[in-house]
Amino acid sequence: MRRELGVALAVARKDALAELRGRHAAVSTVFFAALVLLLFGFALGPDARRLAEAAPGLLWLALVFAGLLAVARLHELEAEDGSLEQLALYPVSRRALYAGKALAAAAAMLLLGALLTVAVAVLYGLDPAAGWLPLAVTVVLGAVGFGAAGTFYAGLTVRMRAREVLLPLLLLPVTAPLLLAAVKATAAALTGDPFGELVAWLQLLAAFDVVMLVAGAAAYGFVLED
Amino acid sequence: MPQTIYVSPRSRGLFDSPPAAVVTRDVARLFGETPALAGVSFGMDAGRVVGLLGPNGAGKTTLLRILATAIRPSWGSVRIDGLDPAVNPIEVRERVAYLSHATALYGDLTARENLVFSATLLGLGGVESRERVAAALAAVDLEGVADRRVRGYSAGMRRRLGLARLLLGSPSLVLLDEPYAALDADAMGFVDRLLVAWRDAGVAVIVASHAADRIAAQADGTLRLEGGVAVEARGGAVRLLDGAPAARPADQPHAVGDGVLTAGASR
Repeated sequence: MRRELGVALAVARKDALAELRGRHAAVSTVFFAALVLLLFGFALGPDARRLAEAAPGLLWLALVFAGLLAVARLHELEAEDGSLEQLALYPVSRRALYAGKALAAAAAMLLLGALLTVAVAVLYGLDPAAGWLPLAVTVVLGAVGFGAAGTFYAGLTVRMRAREVLLPLLLLPVTAPLLLAAVKATAAALTGDPFGELVAWLQLLAAFDVVMLVAGAAAYGFVLED
Repeated sequence: MPQTIYVSPRSRGLFDSPPAAVVTRDVARLFGETPALAGVSFGMDAGRVVGLLGPNGAGKTTLLRILATAIRPSWGSVRIDGLDPAVNPIEVRERVAYLSHATALYGDLTARENLVFSATLLGLGGVESRERVAAALAAVDLEGVADRRVRGYSAGMRRRLGLARLLLGSPSLVLLDEPYAALDADAMGFVDRLLVAWRDAGVAVIVASHAADRIAAQADGTLRLEGGVAVEARGGAVRLLDGAPAARPADQPHAVGDGVLTAGASR
C-alpha cells in the first residue's frame, strides 16, 4: 500500500511538473474557461439578477469544458513518444498508476475551480465568501469526481484517432450526475439553502466520486492494454 | 563514453534448476485481420545475447513487445524465468527491461527527473535511487546535461538516456529494439560493452537490429524472423522449439551440430 502511494504521488508529481513547464497548455485552458464564462455572460444579457441565478450552472459548465481539455492534455503527455506504453511496463499495479493520473487531474480541476469561482464572483456579482466552506467542499468533490472519470476516459481514448470527439462524447454523459449535484450544491452554498438540500447534494457528489474512483482503478488496466 | 559499466547482477541460486530465461510456444499476434506474428516458438538461456534479425515487417518489434508485456499474444504462451506474464504480470515486469523504438521520455522533464521517476516506479528510493541515477547518467555520458530538459536533446542523446533507464533496475531479461539507431560510433561501442556487461552479469539480452554484422559480432546466437515466422536459429544460445512452423527457406542449412538449427530441426 505504501509503495502504491509512492507510485501514485510520483506519477502525479511528474504530471504536475510537465504541465507547469509546458505552461502554454495550462494558460490556454484557463483562458478558454474564462472565455466560456464571458460568452455565457454575453448570451444571457446584462440583467444582474439573471446572471446571479445562472452563475452556479455557468461555473460548472465552464469548469467541465475546461476540464475536458485538462484531462485530455494529461494523457497526451503520456502518448507522446510512447510514454504510455512505457508507463504500463513498470512493475507496479494499474490502480497506483490510475490514482496518480487521477490525482493530477483532480489537482488541475481544483486549481481551475478556484480560479473560475473568483472569475464568476467578479463577472456575475456574487459573494463566494458568504458560503465559502460548502462551496469549497463542492469544488473539491466535483474536482475529484471529474478527475476520476476524466482520467479513465482520457486514457481510453488517447490512442484513438478521433479522441478529440470521443472524449467529450463518452465523458460528458457520465458526468451528468456530477454536474447536477455540483450545480445544486453550489447554488445552495451561494444563495442560501432554505430547504436543507445541500448535504444531500454533497452526499451524491461524494458517492459519485467513490463509484468513479473504484471503477476507474479497477478498469484502468484494460485502458493500458493495447 | 566510459569503458567500464556497472550492471546490477541478478540473484543466483533462486532455483535448483533454473528455467530458461525465455520460452515461447506458438506465439502469434494479429492486429485486426493482419498477422504480425504467425506462431513463434523459441527458447534462450540466461546470460546469453541473442540477435533478432529479419526484414521490415518480420515481426521483430511485435515479438519484443509481447515479451515486454506491452501487448498480449493473440494465442500461444510465453514464459520468462518460468513465469507466465498473463498470470504474474508484475513479477515478470520486475525481471524485464525494454528499450523500445520510441524512447518514451518526458520532454518537459530533465534527464535526471526522467530517471528519478523511473527509479521510483522500479521501487528504488532515497540514497539508492540517487546513486543509481547518478551512475546511469555517468555511464551514458550525460552527467553534464542531466539537468537540461529532454525536449532539447538530440535523437542520439535521447537514445542514450533510454539506455540509462535500463541500468536503473536489475533485470534478468533485457529487450533492445534497434539500440544502435541514431548513435555515433562511440555510443555504439558503449552499447557493445553494455551487452558484454549484461552477459557477464547473467542477464539474457535480445537485440533486434538491422545492423546484422554488428549483431553477429556481439551476439551468442541469432533468431531470424520472416513474415511473422521464426525461420532460423543460429548459434547455441537460442533454439527453435516444438510448435514452430515448418516454413523454412530452401537456402537455409538443414544440419544440426554445426551451431546451426533450422526450423523443425529440433522436433
